[in-house]
Amino acid sequence: MPIPILSLLTSDIQYALNCMEIGDLIAFSLCSKRTKHLAKSSNRKIHSICAEFDTGSSIAIQQQDDELFFDFDDSGTELKRRNGVEVWRKPEFTQSDWVAHFLSIFNKSMIHVLYIENIEISHLDSIKQIIPKFNRLEIGDLSSDSVAKMAFFKLAPIAVEHVVVHKNVFDYGNDVSKFLTQNLKSVFFFDFDNPFKLELNDLLKAKIENLTIQTANITEQELNRFLKIWMKSNHSFYRPKYIKLFLTKEINREDVLRGIKYYSGSHNCQLNRADGKTLLISIRARSVILEFQ
Amino acid sequence: MSSTEQGTSSAAPAEPTTAPESAAAPEVPESFYYVHGKDKVVHKVSAGALQHSALIHGMISNLGYTEEQAKANPFPFENIDGDILQMVVDWCNQHKGKPTPPEDTNLPKQKEKLFDLVLAVNYLEIKELLTYCCKQVAMMVKGKSPEEIREIWMIPTDAEDEAAEKEAKKRAGKEAAGETAAAAGDAK
Repeated sequence: MPIPILSLLTSDIQYALNCMEIGDLIAFSLCSKRTKHLAKSSNRKIHSICAEFDTGSSIAIQQQDDELFFDFDDSGTELKRRNGVEVWRKPEFTQSDWVAHFLSIFNKSMIHVLYIENIEISHLDSIKQIIPKFNRLEIGDLSSDSVAKMAFFKLAPIAVEHVVVHKNVFDYGNDVSKFLTQNLKSVFFFDFDNPFKLELNDLLKAKIENLTIQTANITEQELNRFLKIWMKSNHSFYRPKYIKLFLTKEINREDVLRGIKYYSGSHNCQLNRADGKTLLISIRARSVILEFQ
Repeated sequence: MSSTEQGTSSAAPAEPTTAPESAAAPEVPESFYYVHGKDKVVHKVSAGALQHSALIHGMISNLGYTEEQAKANPFPFENIDGDILQMVVDWCNQHKGKPTPPEDTNLPKQKEKLFDLVLAVNYLEIKELLTYCCKQVAMMVKGKSPEEIREIWMIPTDAEDEAAEKEAKKRAGKEAAGETAAAAGDAK
């Protein structure tokens, strides 16, 4: 028998909403503007909301020990939960509306992770409209080179914190600089199978604040020349704060530091520049970390 | 379970209903109070059972009734249906002096009465029972789609909400106009 839940006291409705599973709460929020407001007021805590664009588009609502997936397009959303796949229609909703609705009811200011896989390049602009703000951009390894590159240039500047690229998109020498000279906060280029070929100029031109490359192919000589140039560049601004390179082959610490005056610690060594700037260097068998202070 | 007998709120019941005996007999004589709902059926409930209700507990603390006085003056809850009050009394008796478990299997099963039960429990301020009832309300829509939830919980559409709001505004406007006219008439 039906009950008129909205006639109950707000505190009682909130008790009931607090007892509901996330999927049920979302369904409730879609009933009307009032129910959306009530769902939002319940302040339900979730871990994050992630979006993935592949051949289709999906939203994942992540909780501590569970995850709900919605495949969504302009005509509706398909929810996968315990009792199979359900289709919820909301004809007046565009994809942007779905995303805005999810963010709103869970009081989230942005999508946590936007994951881009092999999509049409022309779709990138609409993704920018649908997901106007996100914390982290991930570009998948199944993306074509052209999609991965374009996604990086169009979407990475919007990422608030991190960008992760799961494939080597540096085809030509010029490419590397184009990617590394972006004014970004944190970027992780990741490809085990196709190492990223780096040269001295790439490091000199880099503008990414926190850069990690796994795996990179760079010689001891190039690293040594970079350190020497850095030592001589008094009063010049170098934007990167942290560079970590995982290397394809073991490197010789002595060759990297040859001819450079440094202070040595157990694993680290420190370079002091005349203008007061310091550089901490950690060299392991297959990795180099540079911390600029 | 408690038995019931017809009574009135203004007169003392001849033989009020008896609360169920708890499994372990209390060491000191327990005091009893009397409540009735809309149907005037008086229920005799122990002070221990009534402790679940913050509202009644507060009333008892303030009144300092003797048993005779309590018998003569049952607490009237005219806004609560008799059968709903019966459910509440039963629950309070079953959980007298016991910590309430996280899942309550003794909860009344009548879904059609759930709405009234929530209202009554809220009024009587029985927090644990309210939590169970609200859980049960939530269970009604477990795994349901928005359309199914709208039906089960009788949720109006946005258009219906807007129409109701317009209607309410119109009514409020008319009432205000009526009051202004009456005030003007009085002034003359």
